[in-house]
Amino acid sequence: MRKVLAVIRREFIERVRQKWFWAMVVLGPLFFGALFILPGMLIGKTGVKRIAVVDGTSSTFGAHLTERLDAESLFIAVRVAAGPGAIDSSRIDSLRNAVDRKELDGFLIVGDGAVDSGKVMYRASNVSSPVTIGTLEHVVSEVVNATRLEREGVNPALVAKARIHVILDSKKISGGKETGESAGQSFALAYFMGIILYMSILLYGINVMSSVLEEKTTKIVEVLISSLRPFQLLLGKVLGVGAVSIFQFLIWGVSTRLILSQRQHLPGGGVSDAGGLFQMPHVTASTAVVFGLYFLGGFLLYSAMFAAVGAMSSNEQEARQAQQPVVMLLVASFISMFAMLNDPGSTLSVTLSMIPFSAPIAMPVRWAAGNLPIAEVALSLGILAVSILGVTWIAARIYRVGILMTGKRPNIKELVRWVRAA
Amino acid sequence: MSPPIVVADRITKRFAGHTAVDALSLSVPPGVIYGLLGPNGAGKSTTIRMILNIYAPDSGTVRLFGEEGTGRDHSARIGYLPEERGLYPKMRVLDVLLFLAELKGMDRRAARTKALDWLARMGLSDWRLRKVNELSKGMQQKVQFISTIIHEPDLLVMDEAFSGLDPVNSQVLKDTILELRARGKTILFSTHIMEQAEKVCDYVCIIARGKKLVDGTLADIKRTHGGKHLLVNFDGARGDADRIFADRRQVAKADVSGQFAELELASQGDAQELLKALVTSGARLSRFELAEPSLNKIFIDLVGPEAANPVARPDAEVARA
Repeated sequence: MRKVLAVIRREFIERVRQKWFWAMVVLGPLFFGALFILPGMLIGKTGVKRIAVVDGTSSTFGAHLTERLDAESLFIAVRVAAGPGAIDSSRIDSLRNAVDRKELDGFLIVGDGAVDSGKVMYRASNVSSPVTIGTLEHVVSEVVNATRLEREGVNPALVAKARIHVILDSKKISGGKETGESAGQSFALAYFMGIILYMSILLYGINVMSSVLEEKTTKIVEVLISSLRPFQLLLGKVLGVGAVSIFQFLIWGVSTRLILSQRQHLPGGGVSDAGGLFQMPHVTASTAVVFGLYFLGGFLLYSAMFAAVGAMSSNEQEARQAQQPVVMLLVASFISMFAMLNDPGSTLSVTLSMIPFSAPIAMPVRWAAGNLPIAEVALSLGILAVSILGVTWIAARIYRVGILMTGKRPNIKELVRWVRAA
Repeated sequence: MSPPIVVADRITKRFAGHTAVDALSLSVPPGVIYGLLGPNGAGKSTTIRMILNIYAPDSGTVRLFGEEGTGRDHSARIGYLPEERGLYPKMRVLDVLLFLAELKGMDRRAARTKALDWLARMGLSDWRLRKVNELSKGMQQKVQFISTIIHEPDLLVMDEAFSGLDPVNSQVLKDTILELRARGKTILFSTHIMEQAEKVCDYVCIIARGKKLVDGTLADIKRTHGGKHLLVNFDGARGDADRIFADRRQVAKADVSGQFAELELASQGDAQELLKALVTSGARLSRFELAEPSLNKIFIDLVGPEAANPVARPDAEVARA
């Protein structure tokens, strides 16, 4: 046991001493912060669009639409009268050139048919911005609807009075109680946990792999193995790297607490203003426990596999190739997270949270997104624990033979023989 | 008499499709320098790994210090320098030494004192906080050697002990080995360089293709395989030397180069008869010496030229650890 402690200590000290560890500690939160805030900022800040409304109507519809668009902060709208009937193609060409010269961002073409069919043409240099298109659609449909109602003899003032803006006030229910956690917060928490689990398991799993590989390529492993059993070495290595990851989470956890407690004094009054959709989620103790358990489970499961990969490779390139199946397994679990966010209760989500290889990401995400029965979590943890034992047993056998091997990488048949060699 | 430090009893190791070590037995008495000799691929490393229980033998047993337990159980009393040397390149020199000493069961504080002593002795004190990869190769060899003996092992095992060492370190290693023996420690090392073995070994075991050819004290082996070796130097006149050397009743083998000849007497041959015949034929001699054969010669005679080409290694080796 003292020898295992020596291995743990070495792994821990050497890693924490390295610059990349502290770079991760500092840059990690910045990176995650950027991941949350940037998309909102980038989508939100599209800038003011200059658009022309080519009015081919015989009514006041075009003028009315231009007025309404211009009232939106997003647009500067100019009416271009084209007269009723078919629109001159040379006029459209000149507008196209104006877009090309960037004098104009785009133009709408409305005819008399717009009110009947609801069809309006929009041509612009960029039609992918959801905010621009969304606002445009909203304004046009409002004006069209108002015109149609008016045509049917409804007083527009009455319509305006009868309309109401709906605000959906959503709260998650957990343990029969409202949690005060909004849909946005639930989503953000699940998303955040999924990403952090994926990144950490991958990062520290690969750490275990390169540690195994380093001992193998520097040949020091033979000296080590003359003093302690391969399993002791593997155990010490996994626990040592695991301790580094926990240390990192501790630093993040404590510093987040400190920053949050000082939130009022920060300029801008806190993080929750940024992004809108992504609000600072509030993490309950049970969520933290679920996160911790599944991170440890996932780390143990994947680091055992990564250790085996390191042991069967003789250099970095070989390891990069051999790690692909393991990485793919993790990436697949990560991608499936999005299906899970959509419907945490679907058969697919339940299945994924039971399969040990995807459970470490799937289960915490489901937990954060929606309320789960404890029995389901317990079953999933049970399966994960049994799988860790099984996978570690196999990985340790591959490790034991692999660390002293040189030469070409073994194929599946040889690996099976390694595992069988008693 | 105290029990042998190492007793290997018919140990065998097979890798997929080839037998690396075949029913090899050897016994290393305490306080000696024991050389395990053989050409490349003879099974020296595999033998050493089985002695240390890095590989478990497929059959046969190894007993260390006359006690129960494997090499790993006794690792606190064993220092091991494998053929392929290596240290953690990014660790500080002192930390590497402390870590390896801890794995040998040493207390960190005691290990620290020892490590600093040894670093000072090897002239590496100023480098103790540097990373291993900042050291020259020769310095790294010294650090590795310190790591092997820092816990004062009773048994020092070195695979291809002198390979890759620069002349200075080679001398340091030789001096240290002799010093350790003087303090009653036992040293087992493998090499394929006979000149080195001849200089320091008390006992040798020569193996080829996984099998033992001969073992015993160096003196015994020389006596058994020597006494028929004759060195002759002419001083100008050679007389009828060529005809006399060609007489197969007297001379089994002659290697003549100008004024010098190295002869092997036939089993019925008599050195005195030969000397008389040479002088009578008019040869003038500056040297006529009945010599011990070099270990190198014994080795080549025993092993034969073909043993230097071991059977092809298989693609994969399945080892038990």
